[in-house]
Amino acid sequence: MRPDTWPMFLNPAIWGFFFEGLRETIYIALVSVALSFVIGLLFALGRISGRRWIRWPSIFYIEAVRALPVLLLIVYFGIKGSALFRPIFGPDFELPRFWAGVLGLSMYTSAVLAEIIRAGIVSLPRGQTEAARALGLSHAQTMRSVILPQALRVMVPAMMAQLTTVIKDTSLVGTIGIFELLRQGRTIYTQFFNPVEVLLIVATIYFVICFALSRASRRLELGYTPRAARVRIQDIALRDQSA
Amino acid sequence: MPGAIAFEFPQLYFTGLWLTIQISVLGLISALIIGTLVAVMRVSPIAPLRWIGAGFVEFFRNTPLVVQLFFLFLGLPLIGLRFSTDTFENIFRAAAVGMGLYHGAYVAEVVRGGLLGVDRGQIEAARSLGLSYTQMLRYVQLPQTFRSVIPPLGNIGIALVKNTSLASTIGVAELLYAAEIVESRTFRAEEAFIAATILYLALTIPLGIAVNALERRMLVAR
Repeated sequence: MRPDTWPMFLNPAIWGFFFEGLRETIYIALVSVALSFVIGLLFALGRISGRRWIRWPSIFYIEAVRALPVLLLIVYFGIKGSALFRPIFGPDFELPRFWAGVLGLSMYTSAVLAEIIRAGIVSLPRGQTEAARALGLSHAQTMRSVILPQALRVMVPAMMAQLTTVIKDTSLVGTIGIFELLRQGRTIYTQFFNPVEVLLIVATIYFVICFALSRASRRLELGYTPRAARVRIQDIALRDQSA
Repeated sequence: MPGAIAFEFPQLYFTGLWLTIQISVLGLISALIIGTLVAVMRVSPIAPLRWIGAGFVEFFRNTPLVVQLFFLFLGLPLIGLRFSTDTFENIFRAAAVGMGLYHGAYVAEVVRGGLLGVDRGQIEAARSLGLSYTQMLRYVQLPQTFRSVIPPLGNIGIALVKNTSLASTIGVAELLYAAEIVESRTFRAEEAFIAATILYLALTIPLGIAVNALERRMLVAR
């Protein structure tokens, strides 16, 4: 470490550069989580569906995607994303890199969220479904107004914890050319040749965000979570924490 | 046949697979050692040790693994620390160490949970029988945590195997790197990535089934 490498960080332009990266990181994380929540909810419902032709493909999707490295999905969509959408949007279509990154992240995160949501649904006592059905609600009505509101509420802390994972995972989309926080840092240190300082700053920024989020998710205890569900959630948290 | 491309470039794919396995095994061993040490620090009666342990866990869990890998392979040589003078050996070891540190933090939390789960009476009995603190840890507290921590450690192992793909970002020629090279040579992206996918699944799915089976057996036994 050279002694003259720290003063450059007094220059506000450098911080502007970091800030641009941070904005991109947060933006891509939020878009990915929102998209994965929708897809994940569909697959969670698919997996507990009574119809085999819905259940089996859902199980296959969830288990196969969860068993893959998220970086593989990101790199694949980075290379092949445009070609996948050309049949729909015409031969000149170029998938923006941002969306290639979102696709890769969402594909993985949706499978994880599907498992989290399913754990929430399964943890509810059977009596809830039975009572709702006995009152004359249809299957869809039971799901929408009885089961899902309770299940999602219980699972909010786990889903927030997943958001920290997604924020950490966004550091991977730099490999396909999205200028998120780490990628911006890499641009700075290739210019000034000071990776130690830059990486420490980048790590600190990630740390502050992720630490605050994981603390908040641990504080949040919305209602009683049965032990089986907690074991399930811990499993998912350990197995699917990536990057 | 999907994945047949792996046999067209066996040098890349199977060397890559072998590197993936090597990093996984080395990373898992170091994660277990680091994690157990940190967990013992976190439950120790000495407050500064507990703080260091907590700081380690929070830092490594809340920063991305790629940042840690970049630091190990770019940052450390600049402050005079190198894993090896050979470039390839250096990035390989940096990857293995990075896996060990990052997953070690997760292992530490799991083992700590196990240690805290041991009945206090056991610890008090051991101490009153005249065992020193380290003897008590070694013969009483640690052995009893083994049962309860094996399934969660298996889950961490699965995550570790998947995360070895991140070593490709610092230039280790593991499985994902092999797929990227084959893609850039042949432009057959689907085949190249499906071959890597199949090989990854061949590692992670059996592990997942084993962990689930173990878990079910332990839930019944409890």
